[in-house]
Amino acid sequence: MTVEEFRLPDVGEGVAEGELVTWLVAPGDRVEEDQPVAEVETDKALVEVPSSYDGVVEELFVEEGEMVPVGDVIISFRVDEDGDAGEATAESDAGATASEAAAGDDEADTTEPDDEADAIEADATETEPATPSGRTFAPPSARRLARELGVDIAAVDGSGPGGRIGEADVRAHAEGGADAGADGPSVGSASDAPDPKPAPTPTDVGSGGRTSAVKKRDAGGADSETGAADAASAASDAPDPAARETTLATPATRKVARELGVDVDDVPTDDTRDGEAFVTGEDVRAYAEALESEAGAVDAPADAPDPKPVDVSGSADAAAAGGTGPSAAEPSAPGAADETVPYRGVRRTIGKQMERSVYTAPHVTHHDTAEVDALVEARAELKPQAEAEDVKLTYMPFVMKAIVAGLKEFPSLNSELREDDEEIVLKGDYNLGIAVATDAGLMVPVVEDVDEKGLFELADEVNDLAARARERELAPAEMKGGTFSITNFGAIGGEYATPIINYPETAILGLGAIEERPVVRDGEVVAAPTLPLSLSIDHRVIDGAEAAAFANTVMEHLEHPLLLLTL
Amino acid sequence: MVVGDIATGTEVLVIGAGPGGYVAAIRAAQEGLDTTLVEKDAYGGACLNRGCIPSKALITGSGLAHEAGNAESMGIHADPAVDMGKMVEWKDGVVDRLTGGVEKLCKANGVNLIEGTASFVDEHTARVAHGGEGQGSESIEFEHAIVATGSRPIQIPGFDFAEDHVWSSADALAADSVPDRLGIVGGGYIGMELATTYAKLGADVTVVEMLDDILDPYEDDVKRIVRERAEELGVEFHFGEGASEWSEGADGGYLLHTETEAGEESTYGVDKVLVAVGRQPVTDGLDLENAGIETDDRGFIETDDRTRSAVEHVHAVGDVAGDPMLAHAASKEGIVAAEVIAGEPAALDQQAIPAAVFTDPEIGTVGLTEDEAEAEGFDPVVGEMPFNASGRAMTTGHTEGFVRLVADDETGFVLGAQIVGPEASELIAEAALAIEMGATLEDVAATVHTHPTLAEAVMEAAENARGQAIHTLNR
Ligand SMILES: Cc1cc2nc3c(=O)[nH]c(=O)nc-3n(C[C@H](O)[C@H](O)[C@H](O)COP(=O)(O)OP(=O)(O)OC[C@H]3O[C@@H](n4cnc5c(N)ncnc54)[C@H](O)[C@@H]3O)c2cc1C
Repeated sequence: MTVEEFRLPDVGEGVAEGELVTWLVAPGDRVEEDQPVAEVETDKALVEVPSSYDGVVEELFVEEGEMVPVGDVIISFRVDEDGDAGEATAESDAGATASEAAAGDDEADTTEPDDEADAIEADATETEPATPSGRTFAPPSARRLARELGVDIAAVDGSGPGGRIGEADVRAHAEGGADAGADGPSVGSASDAPDPKPAPTPTDVGSGGRTSAVKKRDAGGADSETGAADAASAASDAPDPAARETTLATPATRKVARELGVDVDDVPTDDTRDGEAFVTGEDVRAYAEALESEAGAVDAPADAPDPKPVDVSGSADAAAAGGTGPSAAEPSAPGAADETVPYRGVRRTIGKQMERSVYTAPHVTHHDTAEVDALVEARAELKPQAEAEDVKLTYMPFVMKAIVAGLKEFPSLNSELREDDEEIVLKGDYNLGIAVATDAGLMVPVVEDVDEKGLFELADEVNDLAARARERELAPAEMKGGTFSITNFGAIGGEYATPIINYPETAILGLGAIEERPVVRDGEVVAAPTLPLSLSIDHRVIDGAEAAAFANTVMEHLEHPLLLLTL
Repeated sequence: MVVGDIATGTEVLVIGAGPGGYVAAIRAAQEGLDTTLVEKDAYGGACLNRGCIPSKALITGSGLAHEAGNAESMGIHADPAVDMGKMVEWKDGVVDRLTGGVEKLCKANGVNLIEGTASFVDEHTARVAHGGEGQGSESIEFEHAIVATGSRPIQIPGFDFAEDHVWSSADALAADSVPDRLGIVGGGYIGMELATTYAKLGADVTVVEMLDDILDPYEDDVKRIVRERAEELGVEFHFGEGASEWSEGADGGYLLHTETEAGEESTYGVDKVLVAVGRQPVTDGLDLENAGIETDDRGFIETDDRTRSAVEHVHAVGDVAGDPMLAHAASKEGIVAAEVIAGEPAALDQQAIPAAVFTDPEIGTVGLTEDEAEAEGFDPVVGEMPFNASGRAMTTGHTEGFVRLVADDETGFVLGAQIVGPEASELIAEAALAIEMGATLEDVAATVHTHPTLAEAVMEAAENARGQAIHTLNR
């Protein structure tokens, strides 16, 4: 038996971290190679992470809801010796090198290893460091950090004198230095992870971070009960401590609880394992948050759990009682009626992307309206044909084609600014991103080579991508490589907006709803179907005049769809 | 449950308040775990009550008296009279302060203290029988247990500690007078520490040892220095002899009978016989089997590197969990046990556990000897600094012994140290730190050491290993 650690693999180009949404297995479960073990949400897609081992789940290192950098160990498996021939061989090779170094010219080591020897060596490799004696030279702090990060310290390359391993080496290894071959083949790509971020959580290395204040849980539990009773009269959603005798929780959950100053026995849960109440990290956080908002809403009892300075600027009494002074600089505490929603996963990815775009590219939005009588007719004419071919024909393919016409004429809108290189790349492909609203937030799947595709083909592709975006079944690669984006907010309603560019693209076209609106024709106000357009551009790259000219070309093609045939 | 039982619950139940148990309990409480510590006898365990502390107190007292009476070369002429009763009383005062301190610390950290003898009822229940008739008992349900019941001296056939003239180490540390003739069975570290103590207090000490030298685990040059010094102090050694029985002597004293492997018998006249042939784990009365735990063939509880027994939620630390049976090892294990229970990433991952013998001169060792390093596949390099080349050693009047560092030639990593000489028990700490930190010979050599101190010898030994010693000829 060997224990294999498994790191979060690179789940898509350039994805540096993901939120572990759901564990599909629990310790003790038997898994087969390629069986999905977890769902991870990364850069706008929900992907299943498959096991690369046959074996039994030994330990889960990550809580559901946690952000995990690519390359971090998330799970370990107990792997049967004969379970994976490939692994065993790779490891015994490493073992052989190590023991050769140890034994010098010991004959026995150089003979052909049989299966049994293989297994033994594979076992030995688990703890086999580079030094001959099975020793790793690292200070206690580095060794503890290795355990904390789930790193086999024997596999870490030391950068100190003589190969001594420091904390930085351990961290580097944890972050995706899957340089050691023994780590398993499936994680090789982890080292591609760009821009490794510091690994999360290792804050209480050694004893430095440990609080010396002793909290007696019995007393604390009882007090918070009274506290909650008081609170209940003022705020109906104040949590009741469950005050159980025993509670099952993973060590990681207990750690979260300690950090938040919450007694796991008090955390409400309906979940049970083996007949005992079972609490997850999420439960603990939710309870801690509920306690905090309670503290903000009512006079905090003097000895209510007060794990971290809660900003109670709304209540001077509470501040006095709790002993934590309100600080104007901190965001105000949520009121009793407020709900806190985690800013993580897709939401945070979108947020970061928006922030980056808006703060990087000076946006200018150009508005205009196309009169689309002919387009409406053209679509109506093509519709039966489309239905016969089982295609749901919307206006989107026409718009996409019209945009390609505009982009061909004004390539600067189909571009990317590479500031560092001091160059603007005018893209040769016409890959259009289509923004799709999903329950989890905005997703932008990309239709490639729009210039080469027919209307029906585009219709099919857009529908398929949109449907899968809503089901969150898109692969990360399907959201990459766009050169220009479209956002169809009109599908929900509205005329004009100020779309935000899908950075590093330089332009985005927003579509209002196609509706009959008053237009002036021959001096008369008449009703005609119109399509309001909102074009945002990166003003660093594109001039306002260019944007307007581009919009004109697009409108021309929408107003005279026959022109699309000339493309 | 027994009638009259009071049932309570705790997250962590610690059994035994020695250096393993009390440290585990305090750390568990610091981790926010509801912790109960049960002790049947005295807080501090063997170490504080009958071991490390009392022995070191008497070693210091006897050493001081002996030193003062043997300092003519410094111009000091004295013949100190030792009041043994008073010395033991002083020692008891030290013990009381320390054990009282342990109790206070436990309470201040929120540990529940219960006096009584604990035994397992099942995997999650223990019963504590309170001392004395009619004191009743209580049941305690626990989530995790830490067994820290320690060890006791081994008795050998024919020598019953209940006899007045047959001493265990505990008796030797509580005597109110110095016997004229002390026979000691066993030349291990406890036997040798007490041999030195009593020799300095004026007893005629005879050590009988089955093996052919004292202090079995140590290297020959280390043993020799301690043995020769003991002989200077008047200790008589008889190697290759095992104690077989005692009988009453004609002079009102006793005769200690020994036998060689070949069957040759000898007798030695003694007034007391100290039997110090080793220590055995205390697990009787614990009913370990009720918790599903078995002991190994020597009676120890087997544990993994996180101090867990075969039953995962029951940990064992200290002497009851096997070698090395030392107080600081027990405490380290106790801390790891508590942190593992609290979910911390703790483990027994130390590179080495130092050991000290408080003989005259002292011995301090840590890590690998040269032979051990070689056996482990290193290409060891060794550096030495004899204390007779140390200025500070000369000014203390004690120049026996040396500091030896063992390192890996290729990388320079310090692998071990053997120190014999004045304050070796203190000096070894630096070597332990070097090993634990993965320091190299260069690191130790380049660290500025205070002059004049004994610790400079550690630096010099590192220089010597690098062929750069200033105060000795490089090997
Ligand atoms: C003479 C002598 C000198 C020594 N000198 C040194 C030294 O210099 N340095 C060093 O490191 N070590 C020394 N030692 C060894 C050291 O004392 C032990 O290694 C150390 O005490 C072990 O600690 P422990 O916690 O495992 O057990 P102990 O200290 O033995 O404590 C165990 C405790 O458990 C209690 N107990 C047992 N069973 C039960 C039960 N069922 N219910 C409740 N309580 C129970 C006992 O009463 C005891 O208090 C010396 C020992 C002796 C005898």
